[in-house]
Amino acid sequence: MVERLNATRIVAAPAAIDTAVWPQGALVLRLAPDEVLVTAPVIVGGVDDPHAIVERETGFSAVWVDNSLAMDFLERECDWELPRPRPAFAQGLVAGLPLKLWFEQDRVLMVVASPFAADLAERLR
Amino acid sequence: MAADSLLTHLLRDARVPLGGGCLCLAGDCPNCLATVDGVSYVRTCQVAFREGAAVTPHAANGELPPLESVGERPPATARTMHCDVVVIGQGPAGRAAATDARATGAHVVTLDARDGQEVIGIYPGPLVVARTEGGMRHLYPRGEIVVATGASEIQPAVPGNHLRGLVTARAAAELAAAGVPLGRVVAVGTPPEGVSYEQASGTLVRFEPSSDSARLGAVVMRDAEGAETRWPCETVSLGLGLTPRDALLRMARGMNVRGVGDVLLPAHVPPCPQEGVVCPCAGVTVADLASVHARGFHELELVKRATLAGTGPCQGAACVPHIRAFLAAQGAALQPPFTARPVTRQLTIGEVAAGAHHAATPRTALHEEHLALGATMERLGGWWRPWHYGDVGAEYAAVRNGVSICDVSTLGKMQVSGPGTLALLEHLYPVPISSLAPGRARYVFMLDERGYVIDDGMVARESDTRFMATFTSGGATFAEMWVRDWAESLGVDVRVMNQTFSLGAINVTGPRAAELLARAGVSAPPAFLHHGQADVAGVPCRIYRLSFTGEVSFELHHAAADSVRLWRALLSLGQDLGIRPHGLEALLKLRLEKGHLIVGQDTDFDSSLRRLGCEWGVRLDKPAFIGRQAVLRTNRLPLDRQLCGFEMDAAKTTSEVVVFLRGEKETTSEVRFRTPAEGATIWDGEDLAGVVTSTTWSPTLGKSVMLGWLRLKDGALPTDVTIDDRPARRVPTPFYDPEGRRARG
Repeated sequence: MVERLNATRIVAAPAAIDTAVWPQGALVLRLAPDEVLVTAPVIVGGVDDPHAIVERETGFSAVWVDNSLAMDFLERECDWELPRPRPAFAQGLVAGLPLKLWFEQDRVLMVVASPFAADLAERLR
Repeated sequence: MAADSLLTHLLRDARVPLGGGCLCLAGDCPNCLATVDGVSYVRTCQVAFREGAAVTPHAANGELPPLESVGERPPATARTMHCDVVVIGQGPAGRAAATDARATGAHVVTLDARDGQEVIGIYPGPLVVARTEGGMRHLYPRGEIVVATGASEIQPAVPGNHLRGLVTARAAAELAAAGVPLGRVVAVGTPPEGVSYEQASGTLVRFEPSSDSARLGAVVMRDAEGAETRWPCETVSLGLGLTPRDALLRMARGMNVRGVGDVLLPAHVPPCPQEGVVCPCAGVTVADLASVHARGFHELELVKRATLAGTGPCQGAACVPHIRAFLAAQGAALQPPFTARPVTRQLTIGEVAAGAHHAATPRTALHEEHLALGATMERLGGWWRPWHYGDVGAEYAAVRNGVSICDVSTLGKMQVSGPGTLALLEHLYPVPISSLAPGRARYVFMLDERGYVIDDGMVARESDTRFMATFTSGGATFAEMWVRDWAESLGVDVRVMNQTFSLGAINVTGPRAAELLARAGVSAPPAFLHHGQADVAGVPCRIYRLSFTGEVSFELHHAAADSVRLWRALLSLGQDLGIRPHGLEALLKLRLEKGHLIVGQDTDFDSSLRRLGCEWGVRLDKPAFIGRQAVLRTNRLPLDRQLCGFEMDAAKTTSEVVVFLRGEKETTSEVRFRTPAEGATIWDGEDLAGVVTSTTWSPTLGKSVMLGWLRLKDGALPTDVTIDDRPARRVPTPFYDPEGRRARG
């Protein structure tokens, strides 16, 4: 079930992101050197950059998929090479959709911009 | 013993070869093609036999086999694999190459057509695509690709080469080993191994039929003195030489691809063909080659295009040696085979589509709400959007007379922060940004370096160093790239967050819009071209006050997760105000009455602000912005055309409408206000004067209103024109509420 993700998105100076302390238990997905998606609320002052943009982010949806099912899907739909070590983060076009992938030992989190959530659900069927 | 191919099984079962002609049993000829289980162009020599397979030979008269209907079978799957080395072909050379690569610790993937893994192309990447019985394989080697596809046997190009009973020497040996009765065998050239045969000598002249006109009866050879000898037989084994099976090497030039084994052999050049069919796929004869050569086609590539030789199922495997020999015999040097391109084998539609997807169209967070309200959805501006909810007139009226809401979540939305923000925005926009006070917003155009309009939107200042910018729905992706590129080019210190997918946006508009907001808890909404933060029905929103409809409008930007809650609350709170949502059809009517242009519809790739009649959108006293030099330069040129407003009186037409209800036919009449279509030509007398870009019937004004491009004549814009064979007038815009009092409230 692809569900809307409640998260925080931060755009800040890369050094500020490198040194930030994130909420315990939260997933921290580094989308770009200056951008991070954190699956928990983050206080504005938590990032050492006065110009940082720290926003509540509900524009992504996500689904946890069992590792074997995920790999079966990705083998069919992903043209680029997946990371081997776990945990790992990767992002790119999968099945024609811009996906962000968080790999754990036994499961994979697939994150997609919510406007494409219905398409992801359809492709995963 | 290896499993039978479908072809071997059929031959052992005394079935005749399916296509006739010379059989190679190696996938190099078109002579065993058949429709198998509904799929045409199957090489029966490359498919393992299976019980129950339905085989239909392809017609020998050139009639095309049936094509698979779309949807008859599920689409093929495509599986992706990354590895170090791909080895194509598993003969001795291929096996050795794979062993050597594995010895270095490399992850090696091998493919072999005999195992049902046909490589159909090597693409840049590099990417090796193979078809297998289990679906398509997409292989991405990090290292090299080894091609070990060997060499194919040269096919005969003499009269009678269509007869059944001709096999290559290798095929003869293979058939004999598989227990296929060959009858009396005569060998031409290199003899077959393990087969009893009579050796024919001399030059191959022709094959003659038996009493069965489709079957071989004899082979005729000519000696050095020109005397012919006839060799009666049931099978001719042909050892005419080898030609490397190097299509994949010719396809992958410039990539990390290496050939090993027989694929590197120099091609044997057969004698120049004298008569008969050279290309069995396309039916090209020696006479055809002579004809195109006489017309000046002397290059192999051109002969291929002129005759279609080499374009059929075997992709030149049978004919190219003979065409090369033919062209060489005409006095030119021996030419290399032509460049090969994917695909090398016929694919089903499902195989072609394997791994492909229709581009996904994004949906706003309110998609299901629109559907629940009966909306007709359309793809517009790159999004699924409600076109209307069933009653465009009522939706329009709700905006003009009461209150309405519209899902404008598709707007491009970007937050920019940092010490360099002002410098960046001053460069991006042709009007001053620094004069914008925090809490204010401004409508802006965005120009390219040539001074042409590429987008429009709003800039709102939140603080000294933080701004929000909006862009058109269709332009948001490009805008992000544009802004980031310029930030990098200018070297400014900024943070950019594209929030197009993150923020929902609902436009509350109409003379009672403020009343609705008050009910939602916003008693002091922002003034025109101002913005502010407030909770609307409990949803945190940034409220922007501007107007695209011409009425009081508040754009509520909010977290996408809150869209449904906010939408439902607004509809509920406005129930007794007659609220109803409006779709794009009503919105386009409303905006056109106000003369608001749509970038990409009313503008073109060379639309300057001067041509658009929007010179107020640029301030040339600004020292620098993108497009400034081009605007200065083009402003010195005479204006050649301009986007103008037009109006046209009502032209009522009454048409009979026939309605079928429960089988009963009812006839009524319907009055329509005929409005020219978008794209209609504008005439100035007999002269073509322009084209209409936007058009609508204005219910409020009782006439048709339009925007369109108009050419200047003798330095002036004509006033009275003809559109759609009716008189129209050029008039100033906006058509509706020209002073803008309604929008300002």
